[in-house]
Amino acid sequence: MNDKLNSKTPRKLLFLFEILSLSLIFLYSWEGIQMETYTIAIGLVVLIYFSNFILSKISSGDNYIFLIVSMLISIGIIMIYRISPELGLKQLMWLTVGITMFFAAYFAIKYIGFWEQLAPLYLAACYILFAVTFVMGTRTNGAINWISIAGISIQPAEITKIIVVFLLASFYGGIDKYRKIKNAELFLMGIMYSFVALLFLQRDLGAAVIFFGIFTGLQYIYSEERRLIWANIGLSIMGAAAGYLLFDHVKVRVVTWLDPWPHINDKGYQITQSLFAIAEGGFFGTGLGRGNPSFIPLSYNDFIFSAISEEMGIFTGIGIIMLFMLLVYRGFKIALRQESQFYRIIALGISLLFGIQSFVIIGGVLKVIPLTGLTLPFVSYGGTSVVTSFIALGILQGASEKRGKAGKANE
Amino acid sequence: MNNERKRIITLLAAICLGFVLLIGYLSYFQMFEAQAVRDNSYNKRLWINEDNILRGSITDRNGEILVYSESHEGDVQRIYKYDNLYSHVIGYSLRDYGKSGLERKYNSYLVNANENTAINELINLINPTGIGNNLNLSIHHGLQKKTRELIGDKKGSVITMNPKTGEILSMVSTPDFGINSLSENWTSISENSESPMINRGTQGLYTPGSIFKIVTATGVIQNGVPEAVYQCTGSTVIDGYTIRDFDESGHGSLNLEQAFSVSCNAYFADQAVALGHDKLKNISEKFFINQSIEFDLETNKSIFPAESIGLTDLGASGIGQGRVLVTPLNMLMITAAVANDGYMPMPYIVESVRSPQGQTIKSHVSESKKVLQIGEAQALQRMMREVVRVGTGTNAAISGVEVAGKTGTAENSSGMNHAWFVGFAPLENPEIAVVVLLEEEGSSGGRAAAPIARELMDFALKNISN
Repeated sequence: MNDKLNSKTPRKLLFLFEILSLSLIFLYSWEGIQMETYTIAIGLVVLIYFSNFILSKISSGDNYIFLIVSMLISIGIIMIYRISPELGLKQLMWLTVGITMFFAAYFAIKYIGFWEQLAPLYLAACYILFAVTFVMGTRTNGAINWISIAGISIQPAEITKIIVVFLLASFYGGIDKYRKIKNAELFLMGIMYSFVALLFLQRDLGAAVIFFGIFTGLQYIYSEERRLIWANIGLSIMGAAAGYLLFDHVKVRVVTWLDPWPHINDKGYQITQSLFAIAEGGFFGTGLGRGNPSFIPLSYNDFIFSAISEEMGIFTGIGIIMLFMLLVYRGFKIALRQESQFYRIIALGISLLFGIQSFVIIGGVLKVIPLTGLTLPFVSYGGTSVVTSFIALGILQGASEKRGKAGKANE
Repeated sequence: MNNERKRIITLLAAICLGFVLLIGYLSYFQMFEAQAVRDNSYNKRLWINEDNILRGSITDRNGEILVYSESHEGDVQRIYKYDNLYSHVIGYSLRDYGKSGLERKYNSYLVNANENTAINELINLINPTGIGNNLNLSIHHGLQKKTRELIGDKKGSVITMNPKTGEILSMVSTPDFGINSLSENWTSISENSESPMINRGTQGLYTPGSIFKIVTATGVIQNGVPEAVYQCTGSTVIDGYTIRDFDESGHGSLNLEQAFSVSCNAYFADQAVALGHDKLKNISEKFFINQSIEFDLETNKSIFPAESIGLTDLGASGIGQGRVLVTPLNMLMITAAVANDGYMPMPYIVESVRSPQGQTIKSHVSESKKVLQIGEAQALQRMMREVVRVGTGTNAAISGVEVAGKTGTAENSSGMNHAWFVGFAPLENPEIAVVVLLEEEGSSGGRAAAPIARELMDFALKNISN
């Protein structure tokens, strides 16, 4: 009874939030309200409200993560719609697909019980996805990370991220089994390093950082050979230094991070445009439609945080950061409550994924750390990004329900 | 299990710390760095803003318009009425090449982008104004024209100032450049080996020569015996190296005042060695050498060698040779400090910023720093008067007015001497201070620079009333 009350109040607040943000859209396109404007407005509210409603009826798990994500994606869609109505509508479509996949993933986790026994399959799938990327990949913005299937472009690394979480969870979750194998942990580290190296070759530095981050985080919690953690940190420093010396594309990132201003017309263009936008926005922003986010390259994608900061101000920017912080916090809380080791690690891995990815891209566009090309989960435009992020969220939702030690769902 | 929980919580804390740092940095950036980033001339938004805003005009101290903007059917044009006359002061604002001078430094006022505070932002959102603010300068347009006319086609810089307040009355640096045709001639001007785009008055670093003896003389007054009589033989040998006088026949016996008046190199080189590096450096730094000068235009720091230097170099520094380098603006400030009984005025050009409706948004408050005791300043005043009365600076004398000054003829690597003159008038109640630098003029300060200073002081005393 108490639970019901708790879950209703935030949902009403969310509804208010949606109405307020939609009034922004209407004010923005006041002079030319079109069919699209209504589609976006009604579509967004209905979709968000009903999926939250349905979820609260069917899931006994966490009530908050989907609410947090609802806010993130609403801010994202409004911004994308403002930059390009066409992309905004497409993003709404991706959101529909994403929410469908969220429920699919949730049910798959809830009703299928053998996820932790598939380690070899996960490993094979990762390598196959890498191979596919190298064979069929096309180069955009310097990185080979897109493949095109039946006219739809997807980024295999986005899918691999989730599979890697499963791979790590089934390894550390079933560590008793692997203890018999000599140097099993060292072997795992080798596999993870091979992933990172492949991503370096694809020039997908952002994904490399995420893979490495998730692995290091889980290794820190679960590794039984503590010396390996130090070895991992040492090797990563050496690897980063080697990457800097060997690859020009890494060097460029570091140089433009330290001081982009002398390179304002070429390699420092993106980051300086991002800083201009954030500086222009101030605390409250210029107002939706009154700034110039189109000056930022990829403003609807990697740099959406800068575009939002320009028009909605850094108060909204800080709000987004806090939403991600809450999401990670809920994710960790789910892990702490979960009795099944496998699902605990899944919850940690997914939370790390969201946390690290949002930190790396926001830190990058702010010039706190070197810029690596990544989407801001749930906020940036992009089919693969939205759909895979929702799949990950569905898995986290599934992992938030009580399970016995064996991992079977018990309600 | 316990270990696991602990580690999970540690990791969560680390991630949250990361996010908190991001929030902290974002707030810091917005409060302290955003303004400078926004004003970067590569920020295309500045130009967008300007299409909607009529940039404010700039006037001299009497309200004479120097630069203004005009709108012809939505097409905004910036009109520089005096083309090259203010090329280093007001500078330019060009879509393709950015901004310089006051156009750059005061851009946010000229386009009426208010201070970046939350409240102002809200006010601006509700009530945006389409006209920028106006700048009112301390420059006297007549004196500025006179200054430019007097320097003619020579290379160098001339600056005049009210020594009591720090108001810059005129400032010229040559070669200069025409702003109205700058876009067409950009490459030839910006790549010219004579560097016409540099403001020599505030950024040029030059060997000061004998005008630096004002600093050395301060040292003698503070630490030595100004009355002691010195025998000048026309040269002095320091550490095996001979420092010669201009006139090698020797000045005979003289004290500080006499040595200053005839600009005796041997005397001041020996006095510098007697003072020692640390004392001379400390006095220099009190006079803002090695210090950055806050000003409405970009400035460079004058240099006195920071490390301990050899005795020969030290002796050379005492007469403004060796490794000492100064900006004309800094020397003018030192001169003004002497004129102003020891209080060095901080220079400024922008008197006030006014809204299009005439309200004062920002007005300058004069500031000064005490760098000399009154007795020391008055001793220097007398010595500088003697220079103009009977010494090397007689060309700066004006009949009926007591003028004080110091000449300098600085040897440098080009082989052609820089001609310097610094001075002020009238002695008792100074109204104008002036610095004249003629770069690689090949003539002495007394012959080439002093007459320009005289004309300017004469003009200012007759035409400027406070």
